[in-house]
Amino acid sequence: MILKYLLRKEFTQIRRNSFIPRLIIVFPIIIMCVTPWIMNMEVKNIVVDVVDNDRSTLSQQLVHEIEANKYFIFHGQQPTYAAALNNIEHSEADIIMVIPQHYNRDITLGRMPQVLIATNAVNGTKGSMGAAYLSQIVYTNASPSAAAIQSKVSTLYLYNKHLNFKLFMIPALFAIVMMLITGYLPTLNIVSEKEAGTIEQINVTPISKWTFILAKLIPYWFIAFFVITVCLFLAWIIYGITPKGNIALIYLLAMLLALFFSSFGLIISNYSDTMQQAIFVMWFFVVFLLLLSGLFTPTRSMPSLAYLTTYINPVSYFIDAMRTVFIRGGNFSNIIHQVFALFCISIFMGGWAVISYKKNN
Amino acid sequence: MKAIEVNNISKHYGKVQALRNVSFSVNKGEVFGVIGPDGAGKTSMYRILCSLLLPESGTAEIDGFDVVCQMNEIRKRVGYMPGKFSLYQDLTVEENLHFFATLFNTTVEENYDSIKTIYSQIEQFKDRKAGALSGGMKQKLALCCALVHRPSVLFLDEPTTGVDPVSRKDFWEILAQLKERNITIVASTPYLDEVRNCERVAFLSEGIIKGIGSPEEILTEFRDIFNPPGIEHRESYNINKTSENVIEVEHLVKAFGTFHAVDDISFTVKKGEIFGFLGANGAGKTTAMHMLTGLNQPTSGTGRVVGFDIRTEYEQIKKHIGYMSQKFSLYEDLTVAENISLFAGIYGMTDKEIRRKTDRLLQKLDFSEHRNTLVASLPLGWKQKLAFSVSIFHEPGVVFLDEPTGGVDPATRRQFWELIYDAAKRGITVFVTTHYMDEAEYCDRISIMVDGKIKALGTPNELKQKLNQPDMDHVFTYLARQATRSSD
Repeated sequence: MILKYLLRKEFTQIRRNSFIPRLIIVFPIIIMCVTPWIMNMEVKNIVVDVVDNDRSTLSQQLVHEIEANKYFIFHGQQPTYAAALNNIEHSEADIIMVIPQHYNRDITLGRMPQVLIATNAVNGTKGSMGAAYLSQIVYTNASPSAAAIQSKVSTLYLYNKHLNFKLFMIPALFAIVMMLITGYLPTLNIVSEKEAGTIEQINVTPISKWTFILAKLIPYWFIAFFVITVCLFLAWIIYGITPKGNIALIYLLAMLLALFFSSFGLIISNYSDTMQQAIFVMWFFVVFLLLLSGLFTPTRSMPSLAYLTTYINPVSYFIDAMRTVFIRGGNFSNIIHQVFALFCISIFMGGWAVISYKKNN
Repeated sequence: MKAIEVNNISKHYGKVQALRNVSFSVNKGEVFGVIGPDGAGKTSMYRILCSLLLPESGTAEIDGFDVVCQMNEIRKRVGYMPGKFSLYQDLTVEENLHFFATLFNTTVEENYDSIKTIYSQIEQFKDRKAGALSGGMKQKLALCCALVHRPSVLFLDEPTTGVDPVSRKDFWEILAQLKERNITIVASTPYLDEVRNCERVAFLSEGIIKGIGSPEEILTEFRDIFNPPGIEHRESYNINKTSENVIEVEHLVKAFGTFHAVDDISFTVKKGEIFGFLGANGAGKTTAMHMLTGLNQPTSGTGRVVGFDIRTEYEQIKKHIGYMSQKFSLYEDLTVAENISLFAGIYGMTDKEIRRKTDRLLQKLDFSEHRNTLVASLPLGWKQKLAFSVSIFHEPGVVFLDEPTGGVDPATRRQFWELIYDAAKRGITVFVTTHYMDEAEYCDRISIMVDGKIKALGTPNELKQKLNQPDMDHVFTYLARQATRSSD
């Protein structure tokens, strides 16, 4: 019964806040509309310098192929390798291709001419992908029949047929939205009551710790529910992406993650004296949870020590399970392991939030 | 040339008219008081004179410089001490002072003479963080910071609110010394004894100056506001020797490391009594109150409140007490009715009961039209009356009030005490701390805490006789001056 009055208070306060209701609506929209276009591992627009020492029909053909390719921007011919390297040093080019003298003649004679591809590998992905694309072009140019051989190997892309990166990222973006909304708002909640002094008034009332913390958590579950709905809707409207699996499972996962983050926020709030302190501590954990979650990089390729942390990282379980349900259409039995882990971690945090709230010192 | 010359200044915020055609002038070296209820426009006045706020119409000059177009000259000449503490709580005393000196392009060494008398009193704590100082100390430091650039005019916005009588006396002695150095002082205060220290005062109400004159003239002219007749403590609850003890405390100690904030106190309070719990800033009053209300565990000693042990049964205690904290205790972003229903709901009252009692309460307080007003927009005095009414809404056995009337004008304080008497009459025991000595006289019994110990306990008359002092103010000063520990 007491819970009813406390909930009414929390909801009224959130509604009256000049900022939070707008944030809850605008934030998921911005994340869903902007980030899928940016968070993309495809490499495009690689600037190529060519040093053609042969100037034959075949070498010209190779240059034209590069010019025509959508992944490359042809920057121009350079007289020497040194001149081309100079361009790389000034960040005007990313890759140099040096065609040796007698390239045409050697190919015709069946000798193996050597084309040099030098790439700026400061950005490793861009460098290696660029070199790989380029060597493929060179390879086909040198022996057109090689393409025919390649065609005998067939690759079948499962679940994400068009290798659409957005399909891969969107379920993970849900995690970011949830993290920021249901993590940060509760972090500020109890601390702001401490700063206003109202917490003292609450502490001298007979409210039980459970009731008080529950009243603080429940509003964020409603917010999480709302936010996830907005995200699903936007994914469908903007990208035409809908979950393959059962939508109820997505809500289940989202609620568990909301329980984790809202409890975590309250724990930090309980231990902090000022908003500044609370926000900074939360920021610290959010960055680690996110980077170690497998959102950007596959968890299996992490060093073994870092990989071990994913066992206690709820975001990692969430993203894994979300991708299973969303992209692959997995059912409950596919994600039971993740759901169980998320549930245990969240309950543990919820209990901690109650225990760390002290009505009597 | 006058030090301050104000002509027909007006300012409004939205619909609220903060100042309306305000005109006055202050002579060089004068101590000028600005008095008036909360929300009268005092702070707006200060902010305009310090060139922090632009007036809508009218002109104001300080030392002949216009506050609108000669801002730089003005800022070199004025020192301003805002109502809330203006210090950086995480910096030490010395760092605060150096910081403010640097802001004005000067150094502490250069102007040491001008602040020496004040600074010498706090210099021993120069490495302590400003946040850890007691109220009186903070005010002295804030004053040092406002004086470090040798201003010729000093604006003090309620500098002594929440400060105990002894520290207040010290503070005004310092102001008297500044006057000797020909510094013009404009100060506002809710304390009548401080008003009397001014040479002239202006009474500001609802943005209009109602009168300017000597303190006595103004206090007499607006007698019903500043000097309401004392309240007769009539029809009190029947307290006699056989009444049950609502609060029993024996040898209570609260230690933080080696520091004994509360050092072995014992007392009892009977049902229906109004018990005044007095002491200087940092004497340990709030700590003691926190132990009685179950917010803190005592280090040693025993205590029972409404029959429950404060050590083990504190959650039981919380069901039977009301509490109004020093910081404001209602939710500012909820309406009057929402606040009442929240706290009533917490104590397990039903919706129907709440609605019925809310109507009755609002009627009694003459508040019905503000039922759906946000608490944030109420004047301070109203907030406090409301907070008190909420704290006794569930008919607790005892209500604890921690400086409930800080910063409120005398008329509103009197109304507040009528509410307290009303509650006591119904058998609610009242445990109250205050810095107003006239309020101490209203209590049935009082205790005075010095350095964590109770130095005196009895009815106000008993104490006056025993210590041979004419009034409570002298009793308090006499005892508090014996303190050896100078800060919390």
